[in-house]
Amino acid sequence: MTNLVTTAQETELAAPVAEFCNAGVDALLVKFGDEIDACMPSYLASIRERVLNQLADVVNEVVPAYASLLVYYEPRNVRVYDLQLALQGIIDEVPWLCSPWSAEDANAPGKLVTVPVCYDPTMAPDLERVLQHTGLTAEELIAAHSGQQLQVYALGFAPGFAYLGSLPDALKVPRLDAPRTHVPAGSVGIAERQSAVYPQDSPGGWNIIGRSPVQWFDPKRTPMTAVQVGDRIQFKAITLSEYQAYAEQGAQ
Amino acid sequence: MTGFRVIKGGILSLIQDSGRLGFQHLGVTRGGPLDANSAYWANRLLDNVPDAAVIEVTAGGLELESRTQTMVAITGGDLNLTVNGEPQIPWRSFWVRQGDRLKFGTPRYGFRAYLAVSGGFQTPEVLGSRSTVMRDHLGGVNGNGEPLQAGDELPCKHLIHETLSRQIPQSYLPQWTNEVVLHVIPGYQQHHFSKDAWQTLWQSEFTLSTDSNRQGARLHGPEIEAPSGSFLSEGVSYGAIQIPPDGQPIIMLEDRQTLGGYPKLGNILPLDGFELAQCAPGAKVRFQPISLAEAQQQMRRYLRFFGL
Repeated sequence: MTNLVTTAQETELAAPVAEFCNAGVDALLVKFGDEIDACMPSYLASIRERVLNQLADVVNEVVPAYASLLVYYEPRNVRVYDLQLALQGIIDEVPWLCSPWSAEDANAPGKLVTVPVCYDPTMAPDLERVLQHTGLTAEELIAAHSGQQLQVYALGFAPGFAYLGSLPDALKVPRLDAPRTHVPAGSVGIAERQSAVYPQDSPGGWNIIGRSPVQWFDPKRTPMTAVQVGDRIQFKAITLSEYQAYAEQGAQ
Repeated sequence: MTGFRVIKGGILSLIQDSGRLGFQHLGVTRGGPLDANSAYWANRLLDNVPDAAVIEVTAGGLELESRTQTMVAITGGDLNLTVNGEPQIPWRSFWVRQGDRLKFGTPRYGFRAYLAVSGGFQTPEVLGSRSTVMRDHLGGVNGNGEPLQAGDELPCKHLIHETLSRQIPQSYLPQWTNEVVLHVIPGYQQHHFSKDAWQTLWQSEFTLSTDSNRQGARLHGPEIEAPSGSFLSEGVSYGAIQIPPDGQPIIMLEDRQTLGGYPKLGNILPLDGFELAQCAPGAKVRFQPISLAEAQQQMRRYLRFFGL
């Protein structure tokens, strides 16, 4: 309890200010600063839910990203100024409950999803180069990549593609100079201090350091995506034979 | 169910309805016809609901055989459609019998034709839409985002009686040339661009590149100076004009990715985007400013016309 009170006091000053910006005839971008902030995903998820519930007659979609919400609205039902007022009203209702959660914290935001990853070199075409770039050994890289919880900051780029952050500094690598035209589904990539699992075969410019047997997106499943914005992820290293066992299980 | 059989898929022929709504937060692209105005007209000629599934035929080459009898309508660019070898006038509806061959040639004017059928094509819905989005592997005949190809079956209703053929009055037909003016609603990052960058935008002529696709129209022209620094990825709305580091604008269209991180000058008026969809690569593109209020009023008029 004491902890909660302190955090509320500490973060009151840091509550982000919403900035409204036109994004075409039927979209309004609500920006909350220019920084990647670990407290943002769950904050944005709460605002998004309220906007969809309370403004259902004028708002069609709300697309969250790192520090923004893109609000698609029906311009024939609302003036943009009135929409801004309504959105500001909702934003004011949502508390900025930022607590730097730990792995044991039962109150940590979102659900925790464990994602098995096989870091076998046969499934990691960029592993060697990443090791050279970072100066880590394979064991150190795996420990760094799977040794902490990551947050889902946004879903985008492709259905179910989750932007996960933030990786430790030691794992920071640039994107590929030229994106690959084909990255197999399940490939686990890193770029800058982000990580992601490619949900489908697609082009891609991230460094591939492993593969996961988890199906990341399935339009016939509820929910369709393995994770939502605000959820947390912990990667877990598995062997090649464990990967094959998982993959067979999934195929059944 | 009866329907049409694809003999040749052509260059790029896609089933499209008004798109996959409500899933952009999961990274699912909306899709939909690039020239929605022409697609709506095709459905209207048949008294279909506005979002009934049509075929978007890009640049021609599609060949279909009818396995049924029904009314069809053809709008959009004139891609030299013939039925059993007989040339057809576009922007009208007509009766098709079992065994008829519909064949699209190469563009006479415009770049994308829309073929609607009475009641719409009944291909499977994925996430509430039949729209084909290749990059998402969603929609289309098999639900996996493939464009039309030889052997595909396109189910639709069988009509017992022929109905009246309708034609769109000449005055309603869009006038397309290979020069287009795009009206720009200045965007939220407008202050990040220099005065020079804006001057380049308003005063230059750009060329539509062959790299353009349903995701984005890529333009070639004098370099527009992109703001320095990096921007966090955020939701990308229709018509956003992105300026990547090489200074060559990309206008984001229906198959755009849901999030993007390039700086944006603003968004084009969707009505102009429909015209852009009818331009072949090599077309000349200019920009002019428009206010949000004026742009919204034009869109209201357009949507009201179709009863949307």
